[in-house]
Amino acid sequence: MNAVRQWSERLIGAVPIIGLLALWQAIAMSGLAPPALLPTPGVVFARFFQQLGSPAFLDHAAVTLYRLFAGFMIAVVMGVTLGIAAVGSRAFAAIVTPVVRVLAPVPKIALYPALTLTLGYDDASKIALVIADAMFPILLATYQGASAVEPKLAWSARAAGVSPVRTLFTVVLPAAMPSVLTGARIGLIISCIVVFLAEMITSTDGLGHLLMRAARNFQTVDMFVPLIAISMLGLMLNALFNLVRRRLLRGFPEEK
Amino acid sequence: MTRLTSIPGLPPLLACLGILVVWELLARWYGLNGLPPASQALPQIPHILSDKESLIDMGESLRRMAIGYGLALLIAVPIGLWMGRSRYAAAFFNPLMMVIYPVPKAALMPIIMLWLGVGDASKTLVIFLGVTLPLIYHSYQGSRAVEEKLLWSASAMGLGGFARLWRVVLPAALPEILVGCKTGLVLALITMVTSEMIARQAGIGNIVFVSLDLGAYDTVYAMIVIIGMLGILFDVGFEVLRRRLVGWADSPHTIMVGSA
Repeated sequence: MNAVRQWSERLIGAVPIIGLLALWQAIAMSGLAPPALLPTPGVVFARFFQQLGSPAFLDHAAVTLYRLFAGFMIAVVMGVTLGIAAVGSRAFAAIVTPVVRVLAPVPKIALYPALTLTLGYDDASKIALVIADAMFPILLATYQGASAVEPKLAWSARAAGVSPVRTLFTVVLPAAMPSVLTGARIGLIISCIVVFLAEMITSTDGLGHLLMRAARNFQTVDMFVPLIAISMLGLMLNALFNLVRRRLLRGFPEEK
Repeated sequence: MTRLTSIPGLPPLLACLGILVVWELLARWYGLNGLPPASQALPQIPHILSDKESLIDMGESLRRMAIGYGLALLIAVPIGLWMGRSRYAAAFFNPLMMVIYPVPKAALMPIIMLWLGVGDASKTLVIFLGVTLPLIYHSYQGSRAVEEKLLWSASAMGLGGFARLWRVVLPAALPEILVGCKTGLVLALITMVTSEMIARQAGIGNIVFVSLDLGAYDTVYAMIVIIGMLGILFDVGFEVLRRRLVGWADSPHTIMVGSA
């Protein structure tokens, strides 16, 4: 009974996705839109898979991946450290909390021109933008998770003679893990999107650059391909992250 | 110190001041051409804000943002509420949302411009797409968490399906919906700036890059400060509105700091 319901729900879920693809196909075939403006999904996906075998395309994807992960990793380290430190020290929290409150709603992408002016047009400015964008959700999630940790846990550790700093990293941080990982997952998808946008704004390589190059040359099919690539990448990273998360959170009560 | 931090509004102001001081010191320390000190960039702000052309440009940007955001509200909130109350609606929309979630919406700008031209329509559509997901998501979460008993009482009193949605689910889910509205508002600003930076054609994002190309670095930084202030202004303004409307609910904290 349950399995039947699950399958029927999955079928219902497939309807809008297939429907959209069918609509795309229908509009492209009906002649309402010329192929130069709207290529059929078949053509686009064929080109996508063909490009997956092209070394030049993969080079661009590798550049994007490098920037994404460099930025994301630094954002995780900074976000978690700052978040934990703010829970551990009241004085530090008094400084960090207002700064975060001011900077969190600022559209980080607006900083990008300043970053290119100070760090140059290469990797550094893009990585810095990814850090600026991905760090805040991770920091906030770490802070919220760590402040909700049962204080008795930390007290016991302290009573057993563990130093305050070690208590933060060996007791509070692991206990706050579910929240930290939620923040990190949001940060990961944000990194993925931001690195692509930064490459679209100014770049000479990367997937975002491929989209802009195709746009300048009116190669519509090639405009769709990087967009599909980055979205697939986001979906894959999301799925991968969920696997890692399940691994790391074994023993934690199931959420939702 | 504790006394000082308990004055509302003071810590964020001090934080702003601190950021400006750090900026000033960094700029003086490095002496980079591309990093003018705050004392040079900030005086440009009144210049920009009194310049008629850039004011019109910014006004146009904000108008498009308001339209895109308003349209998204009208469509996304009902969908989200419906998803929260109907298993089938949730099963229908959820996978689609999951697939759309990692697509960079502002990156659709070049493709949409190909179809709809460089006018208002494409820019508004991109903003609409950028804010729809968080609005649906939060309305869905809010509507899903509505207490069944409220709905039973409402049906017992003879309210039909639509009336229940409008008079029970909507108010009960309002705190969560407003969280989505706040995230969406900041996201609308982000999407607007990003898509204008990509399209390089008009609006706030374009002013930044035009001044960048002209080498007017003071103006670039002044514009960044203006955009940042807009973000903070929306955030604070919405928080005030939220307290007015749903002061009865616990202040929910959100970590859905989004990106277009």
